[in-house]
Amino acid sequence: MNLNPFWSMSTNTSRKQHRSDNEEQGGHGDHRSSPARLSFGKKQLPAIPKNAVPITKPPSATIPVQSTNGTHASYGPFYLEYSLLAEFTLVIKQKLPGIYVQPSYKSALMWFGVIFIRHGLYQDGVFKFTVYIPDNYPDGECPKLVFDIPVFHPLVDPVSGELDVRRAFTKWRRNHNHIWQVLMYARTIFYKINTTEPLNPEAAVLYEKDVQLFKSKVVESVKLCNSHLFDQPKIDDPYAISFSPWNPAVHEEAKERMFAYKRRPEEQHKGTQVSGLSWVKPGSTQPFSKEDSPPQS
Amino acid sequence: MSWLSRLNPRGPGVRTGRNTAPSGHCIADPETCLMVFQNHWRQASWILEQCEPSSSSDDLTAVRNHTDQMLCLLAEERPDLGDSVSPIGPILELVVTENVLERVVQWHIRRGLDLDSQGALLKLFEMLIGQSHQPLLQHTAVLHPLLRLLGACGDTELGCPPALENSLVLLLNQVCVTMARQPVVLELLFRAAPAQHGSTNLLIFSLLVPFIHRDGALGQQARDALLLVMAASASHEAVARYIAENSYFCPVLATGLSALYSSLPRKIDVRGDDWHALRREDWMGVSSLVLFMNSLEFCNAVVQVSHPLVRTQLLDYLHNGFLVPVMGPALHKSSVDEMIASTAYLDLFLRSVSETSLLRTFLRFILLHRHDNDTILDTLLTRISSNSRLCMVSLSLFRTLLSLHCEDVMLQLILRYLLPCTHVMLSQRRAIRETDLYGKSANKFLSLIPECCRQSTAPSMDREDDNAFWGKVLSSPSSESPALHRPSTPSRLSFFMRQQSTGTTPSSSSTQSTPPTTDHTLSPETTPTTQQNLTECLEWDCGYLEYLKDARKSVEFCSWACRNWSAPYDGENPSPNSALLPPPPPTSNPSMAMFPEHFSIQGNSSSSYNTPPNQRAAIVAAARSEWSSSERDSGEWDVTIGKNNCISLTPRSKKRSLQREELLPKPVPPLVPISATSTTNLTTSHTSPASHNQSTTITVTYKPLLNGTAAQNDSQDRDLEVKKVKRDLDERQYLDENANQNGSVTKCMSQSCSIFSNDSSEGTSSSSIVTQDLEDGNQSVESLIEELLEQSPEDSKCPIESNGQGISIEAFTQELRELEDRVKERVKEVCQQEEPNKEERQTQQQHPLEDETGMTGGVGAEDRGDSSVVGLCSPARPLNQPTAQPYTGPFMVVIFSKLENMLQNSLYVNILLTGIVAQLAAYPQPLLRSFLLNTNMVFQPSVKSLIQVLGSVKNRIEAFAASHEDFPVMLRKAQQYLVFRGRVDWSDLSSVPPLRRSDSLVKSRKPSLGDLILRHTNSPTRARHAAQIALAHVRDGGQSLHSALFRSTGGGAAGGLEKQAEALRMKNAVYSAVIFCEFLKELAALAQEHAVTLPFANNPSPEE
Repeated sequence: MNLNPFWSMSTNTSRKQHRSDNEEQGGHGDHRSSPARLSFGKKQLPAIPKNAVPITKPPSATIPVQSTNGTHASYGPFYLEYSLLAEFTLVIKQKLPGIYVQPSYKSALMWFGVIFIRHGLYQDGVFKFTVYIPDNYPDGECPKLVFDIPVFHPLVDPVSGELDVRRAFTKWRRNHNHIWQVLMYARTIFYKINTTEPLNPEAAVLYEKDVQLFKSKVVESVKLCNSHLFDQPKIDDPYAISFSPWNPAVHEEAKERMFAYKRRPEEQHKGTQVSGLSWVKPGSTQPFSKEDSPPQS
Repeated sequence: MSWLSRLNPRGPGVRTGRNTAPSGHCIADPETCLMVFQNHWRQASWILEQCEPSSSSDDLTAVRNHTDQMLCLLAEERPDLGDSVSPIGPILELVVTENVLERVVQWHIRRGLDLDSQGALLKLFEMLIGQSHQPLLQHTAVLHPLLRLLGACGDTELGCPPALENSLVLLLNQVCVTMARQPVVLELLFRAAPAQHGSTNLLIFSLLVPFIHRDGALGQQARDALLLVMAASASHEAVARYIAENSYFCPVLATGLSALYSSLPRKIDVRGDDWHALRREDWMGVSSLVLFMNSLEFCNAVVQVSHPLVRTQLLDYLHNGFLVPVMGPALHKSSVDEMIASTAYLDLFLRSVSETSLLRTFLRFILLHRHDNDTILDTLLTRISSNSRLCMVSLSLFRTLLSLHCEDVMLQLILRYLLPCTHVMLSQRRAIRETDLYGKSANKFLSLIPECCRQSTAPSMDREDDNAFWGKVLSSPSSESPALHRPSTPSRLSFFMRQQSTGTTPSSSSTQSTPPTTDHTLSPETTPTTQQNLTECLEWDCGYLEYLKDARKSVEFCSWACRNWSAPYDGENPSPNSALLPPPPPTSNPSMAMFPEHFSIQGNSSSSYNTPPNQRAAIVAAARSEWSSSERDSGEWDVTIGKNNCISLTPRSKKRSLQREELLPKPVPPLVPISATSTTNLTTSHTSPASHNQSTTITVTYKPLLNGTAAQNDSQDRDLEVKKVKRDLDERQYLDENANQNGSVTKCMSQSCSIFSNDSSEGTSSSSIVTQDLEDGNQSVESLIEELLEQSPEDSKCPIESNGQGISIEAFTQELRELEDRVKERVKEVCQQEEPNKEERQTQQQHPLEDETGMTGGVGAEDRGDSSVVGLCSPARPLNQPTAQPYTGPFMVVIFSKLENMLQNSLYVNILLTGIVAQLAAYPQPLLRSFLLNTNMVFQPSVKSLIQVLGSVKNRIEAFAASHEDFPVMLRKAQQYLVFRGRVDWSDLSSVPPLRRSDSLVKSRKPSLGDLILRHTNSPTRARHAAQIALAHVRDGGQSLHSALFRSTGGGAAGGLEKQAEALRMKNAVYSAVIFCEFLKELAALAQEHAVTLPFANNPSPEE
C-alpha cells in the first residue's frame, strides 16, 4: 500500500510496453512484501530521529544528510526528502516511455532504474542504471547516471558506465532542471546518437567512420547487457531492481494485481459522508449547471 | 440500504404468542384441518346468510369465534407443494371459491362496524398475512375484503380512529412487508381499486401517509412500511406516477418537515464556551429534534430507494415546501439565539443527509436561493465575522460544507473569485500551476513561528517532569486515530492538541508505524553536535512528522474526492477570460450588509420624496418587506389540500389566519394529523417583533469587529488600488462589456424585482389586483397592503410555486423602472455635491444579481464617488466604469480578517478557523492552492495573501509577548492545558459530577472540546488524574478548566471586572500563540504534501 506511486507508475507504463513487462514486474513483485515491512522495523531506531519521514513513503531513504538549505536547520532533512519525493512524483507524472526508476531503500539520493529500448540501433536493449543525486540537491551539480554495464555508446564511459549528463545540463538550475529530464536524456541518447566530445572515443569514431562495425558492436553490447539481466543487482539494496525469469506462480498474480489496482486515498476518513460532488457542467462556471437527470444510482 | 435491512421486523411466527388460543386447534393433518374449517364455515355462513343483519351480540360473538378459528387454520395451512398446477392448500381454495373473507367483511360492514370488531378484524387480517405460509394477498378473495376493511377504517373524514391506529399501521406494515417479498402484490393492490375509493388506487399507501411524522414505534412502522412501498414501486412506473401525482406523500413528507422544524427549540442553550455543533449525543435527548431527524432520515431513505419520479417530486417539495419557506426565514431570524439554533440545525441536517440528490437540494438552497436579496450563503458568510457563538456555529457549518468537497460549493465560495486570475499580477499567472518542489513555502510558513514561541524558557526541571509524565502517556497504546472518532469532529483538532507538549514525539496514530519513542531516549544515540541541535528544535518542531502524515491524508483524500470535478481550476481551465465576473466586493465590511433592503428603502424614499407614485411604491415595498419578513418570522405555514389534490402551503400570519377562517369556512379535507400537529406546535413557537428593528441592533453588535485593522488596511489598500487597477483595465473592460451585453436589461428588471419582492419573484398570480391598486393612485397604502394580505392567498392557484407570497412583481417592476430613472437623474444632481451616503453604498454592494446563479456586471467598489453610478438601482452601468478591483470573495475576506484577529479570538474560534483554512489548503486545485500556499506569488495590492495575514499575526504575538514578561510561563501552561485536554478520557469522567449542569439541551453531552480533541488513553492513572482535576475544577466553581489553569497567572483570585477582562484577553492571546504555531506547521506540511501528491485519474466511469 505504501508503494502506491510505484504500482501506479508500473501500471501506467506497462500497458504501453508489452514485451518486457514480465521481467520488469517480477522485480517489483519481489520487493513488495519484505523490504517494505522491513523498513518499518528499521525505522524504529534511526540514526537521526528527525529523518523518520519516509515511513509513509517508499523512498524511505534516511541518509544522514546534514546539508540544510533552509533557515530552519531541523527541517532541512524534511525539505530534501520532500524535494526528492516531488522529483519522483514528477517522474511518475511524466510517464516516460520505457523508463522505470525507484529510489533506493537506503538513500533518497540514489535511484535505481532500468530503460527499455524499443527500436533503433539499440533495439531490445534493457539497461539498468543508477542515478546519484548530489546531497546538496537542488543547489549542487547535476545528478550522475551510471549504467550497471557500460553500454557501447559514444556518451557512455566504457569503464565506469557513466553517462555524460553534464553536456545536457551544464549548470543545474533548481526549478528548471528536474531529474525526469535526466532520465529523458538518457533515453534520447539511444535514439539520436551524438558523437561530439565523446566519453567513448572508439564508439564515436566507429559511428562516424564505420557504422556497420558500430552496429555490430552495439548488438554485442546489447546482448551482453541482456545476458546479465538476471544477475544480482550491483548494489545491495532492498529496492534495487532485480530481474528473474518469468514464473507464473509468482508473477501472474502480481501482474493481475497491478492491473486491477485502483489507487485510493489511504484512509477515507468520515466514511459515511458523501464527498466529491459536482453538478457543474463541464465548461461552465455556474453551480448546478449540470442537469440532475441522471443522479447516481 | 440500512433502512431496508431494518425492515421485515417481524417474520411469521414472532407474534404467535398473541394468538396461541386459536392455534391450539391446529392439527398437522391437513384433511382434519379442512374438516374443522368447513365445520366452522358452515356455522358462520348460516349466520351470515340471514338477510337482516341482526343486532344480536350473540351472532357477533359467534361469527367472531368462527372467523378466529377459520383464519387461524388458514394461516397455519401449508401450500400443497405436490400439486404443481395450483399449489394452494385446500382451505385457501375453499376460501377463494366460497369468497369467505369477503362475506365476513361484508356482513360486518352491513351490520355497522363498531370500533371493537373493526379492531378485531384488523388484528385478524394482520395475523393472517403475517403468519400465512401461502401468498394469500395474491388472491383477490383475500385482497378485496382486506381493502374493503381498510377502506372502512380510513374512509371517514376523521381518518383512522385513534384506538385503531396501532392495529391499522401494524396491518399495513405487514401488507407492505408481503408486498416487498412478492412484487406482484403491489400490482394487484394497485389495480384492485374498490369502487368506493375512486382515484385512491393505492389505499394502503394513502392510509399510511398520515403517520409519516409520528413519533415512537407507530411512526417507525409506518415509515418502514412506506419505504417498502417506495422500494417496491421503484421499478413500477405506474405506481410511481400514482404516488407522485395522486398521493399526498411527497407534500406531506416535505411540509411535515416544516411543521416538525417549527417545533424545534428556538434556542440552544449550552453554557459550554466550546460548543459549536450539534452532535448525535446532543440531539438524542431532545424529542422534537429526534422526531425531525427521524423524518429527515426517512426522506433521505425515500430519496434513496424510490422511483425517480417520486424522488424528483419529493426533492421539489423539500425545496419549495421546507427549505424556502421555513429554513430560509429561520436562518434569517433576527435574534442571535435563533440564528445560532437554525445554523446549527442546518449544519446537522447537512451532516445527516447522505443521498447526493437530497444533498444537492440542500446545497442548491444554500448557494442559490435568495432570501431578502441575499443568498443563504451570503447570510451565513456575514455571520462568521460575528464575535460569538454564532461565529463558531457558522464556522462549523462551513467546515461541513467544505468537507463535502463539492465543486459547486467551492465555486461559489471561492473559486469563482479566483477564476479570472485578477488577484495575481499578470506576470504571475503562469506560476499558478507551479508546485513548490523545494519546500520554499513550507520554509516560509515555518519561519513565521514567532521567536517567543520557539524557545521555552521553562526551567529544565519542569521539562524533565513533563517528559516523564507525558512519556508515560505515550507509551500507553493510544492508537486510535482521531479521525475515526466521529464524523463531526475534525481530526485535525485532536491533532493540534497532540503536538503541544515539549519533548514529546507524538505517538503515531496508525498502528503500522513505529512505536513512539521520545526524543530524550533518542538523543543519547545522536552525535553531540546534533544533540545540541535537537534539544533546541525539540521545543517546537517535534510532531512535524505527524503533521506531514495528516496533511498527506487530507491532501490525498481531497484530490481523490475532487476527481470528478468538471475542471482542474488551474488558471487555464476554465479559462480566466470565459469566467463570469464574480460579484463585486462590498464597499464596506460584508457584515454590515445583513438587511440591506431596509437601508435602500429609506434612502430611496427620502430622496424621491416629491414624486407621489414613487414614494408610494417605496412605502408599499417597505411595508411589504416588513410584512413578508414578519410573515416569515412566524414560520407558520398552512398545509391545505385543494380540490385537484394540489397541496397549498400558505404562510400564516395571525391576522390572516383569522381572515382565512372566515373566508374559507370549511377548508378542504386537511391531512388531519399533520396540520394538527403543525398548528399546535406553531402556536407555541410564535416569535419576535418585526425583524428589521432587530436587524439594526445586530448590525450594531457587529460594528466593533469592523474597526479591526483588517478593515482599515483594506480601505487603504483600496485607495492605492485605484491606480493599480488601471493597468489591467483593458482586459477587464472586455469582461465588463460582455457582462453588460448579455445582462443589462434583465439585470435591471431583476434588480428592481429583488429589491421589492423578497425572493418571491415567481409569484405572479395576483398581479391584476396589485396593478389595479397601483393605477388607482389615491388609495391609501394601508388599504393596499390589507388587500394584498387578503387577496394573495386565495388568488394563488399554484401556491407552492408562488411561495404563497402571491404578489405581482411585474407591476412593481414596471413602476419601479420609471422610478429608478427619475431617481437616477435627481441623484445625479444631488450627488455631485455630497458624498454618497452609507445607505446608498449599502445598496450598491447589494446589487441584486441577474438571476439566482449570481452573475452580475462589474460593479466597481471604487466607483463610489462617481456621479453616474449613484442611482439606487442604476440598471445600466456605464461601460467605461473602472472595473472592480481584484477581490477574492467574501469568504476569504472574512476568514482572513478573522484570522488576522486571532489574538482576540477565543481558543475554540481559532481552532475552528484554522481548521477551515487547513481544509481549504488541502484542496488540490492550483488556483486555490497557489492562492493559499504559494508564498512566492505576488498578488494585486488589494488582495491580501495568507502569508501576509499570518505575518501580521506573528507581529502581534511578538508584540504581545514582549509586553508580558510572563508570556513564556503562560505559553507553557497553555500548551500543557491543551495537551491535557486532548488526552483526558472524558468517558471516565462520566462517573464524576458533570462539568456542566446541562439543564437545557443535552443531558448526556460530554464536554465537547474534550471530545474534539479526545483520545482514549487506556491508562487508568491518566483518567484518574483527569478526574481529579475535573473535580477540583467543579469545586472551584470555575467555568472551565482553563480558567482554572490561568487563575494563578491572571493576578490572583481577587480580580475586578477589568482584571477578568484582561485575564481573558491574555488567555486568548496566549492560546492563539499556541494555535498559531501549530497552524503554521500544519500549513507547511500541507504545502509540502501538495508537491508529492499524485493526481487521481478523473475517469469515474471505468472505476466505479
